[in-house]
Amino acid sequence: MRERHRAGRRSSGGRSSLIIDFHVHPGFSASREGQRDQLERILRDARYHHVDRVCISALADLSQSPTPEQVRQSNDSALDLMSNYPEEVIGLCYVNPLYPDEALQEIDRCLEAGMAGIKLLIACKASDERVDPIAARAAELRLPILQHAWYKRDGQSENESTPADVAALAARHPKTMIVMAHLTGGGERGLADIAPYENVSVDTSGSEPEAGITEMAVRKLGAHRIVFGTDAPGRGYGAALGKVLGARLSPREKALILGQNAARLLSGRLEP
Amino acid sequence: MKMDAAAYLGAWPFRSVEGTIRGLLAAMRELEVGHALVSPMPALFYMDPEPANDELLRRLRGRPALWAAPVVNLRLANAGRYVEQLAQHPQVRAVRLAPGFHGYPAAQVGDTLRALADHDLAAVIQLRVQDERSHPPTSFIPPVAIEEVIALAESVPAARVVVAAPRQGEVEDSARAERIRALQNLWLDISHLDGVGSIRRAREAVGVERLLFATCWPFFYARSALLKVEEAELPAQETERVMGGNAAQAFRLRADQ
Repeated sequence: MRERHRAGRRSSGGRSSLIIDFHVHPGFSASREGQRDQLERILRDARYHHVDRVCISALADLSQSPTPEQVRQSNDSALDLMSNYPEEVIGLCYVNPLYPDEALQEIDRCLEAGMAGIKLLIACKASDERVDPIAARAAELRLPILQHAWYKRDGQSENESTPADVAALAARHPKTMIVMAHLTGGGERGLADIAPYENVSVDTSGSEPEAGITEMAVRKLGAHRIVFGTDAPGRGYGAALGKVLGARLSPREKALILGQNAARLLSGRLEP
Repeated sequence: MKMDAAAYLGAWPFRSVEGTIRGLLAAMRELEVGHALVSPMPALFYMDPEPANDELLRRLRGRPALWAAPVVNLRLANAGRYVEQLAQHPQVRAVRLAPGFHGYPAAQVGDTLRALADHDLAAVIQLRVQDERSHPPTSFIPPVAIEEVIALAESVPAARVVVAAPRQGEVEDSARAERIRALQNLWLDISHLDGVGSIRRAREAVGVERLLFATCWPFFYARSALLKVEEAELPAQETERVMGGNAAQAFRLRADQ
């Protein structure tokens, strides 16, 4: 296979292109060893595609509402993985907004230990006011929040955010940097919801590589508000990178999406 | 020979897709894929797919690198005669059957498989196109169960059956994978396989000889399929099989045709 289809340094005429994967979950495995094995498989493909950094968040057991202890254990496993791959892995601190005091303490603990952002999943909707203390703290610390969101035809979990919930959070916290997960999951409606809020970006993960979705996101939001993400290991690098590399976008727009925007969001916490 | 086993022309009703012959040829050039098996996308939604198939065959005329997989709706009483008619066309190498779109049970395909085998045509059986979570509110198209397609291939050994758009989990289930490995007349297109190491894992589950390079262009970015194969870093001989060698067997193709 020729090199030129691949991303990164070897594929863009010799130009250096920073690639950051903003959305990785190294395993829901109970054991640390299992998570390490899974992260190693993720990094194998990431390295093949010249991905420089991956942002991981460990999500306990995908519980609707994990206890503070479960959250802490999850973050400990992410910190463990970060320590194994300090050059490649960035940690996002997973918290449950339903335990606000513990969540704030956990953010401080994980930030101190080297994490660079916050991950919110499905414990409560992003529009819920119980997210406010976390959003305010994120703004204060200049930490991006990666917030899960999806418009599902069926099967939306009770507390699973839609992009409209993300928009509501963004409206209340205009200084908080929010990355809404799952561009394809939110689709056209999702883009319309978040378009007015400049503090919201979207990651390219979610579902299958439906053609045109990345170009649409650039038209609706601007390339400066899109960050590359895979949702690995459930989704792979080939399919995910195809959404950017196969899109009809300029090299500058692709470079922003692949890594420069994420680097800006993580600025100050990402080693050069 | 490199071949895309799942490309389409025409419109998708719920959002804009490129779907032009020019766009297809450009995508093939970009991927350095010389051949494609092409179906008409609107035919998935037409009760009578014939007008869309006619349009497809007109578009493909004079383009020997492109083979056709017209869509047949088995709910139509004349489907058998229509298959015979399609079999006479020199560019038709397969028929695409979409039970989920047209609303008939996959089990109904058995007789048609025998007819297709008699005419030396492969059957491509569509499990899905779009992620079911994202179907439009007015139109849910149920996926076809891969077990039913495996059972069909088992029941008609003379038929050549391609499973279109299986997901990773559907392929990796150990019981199913064992049945797929045992079949010499069943292939899987890779368009919807996804996950870290997707092609390596599919190869381990069902064997490299069962996998067909397929993009699902213009519904998907074509580049995604190629990157999935590349990242697998298979031995060269296996890559050649996935990229076209297996398709040549499944569709009885020669690069000089």
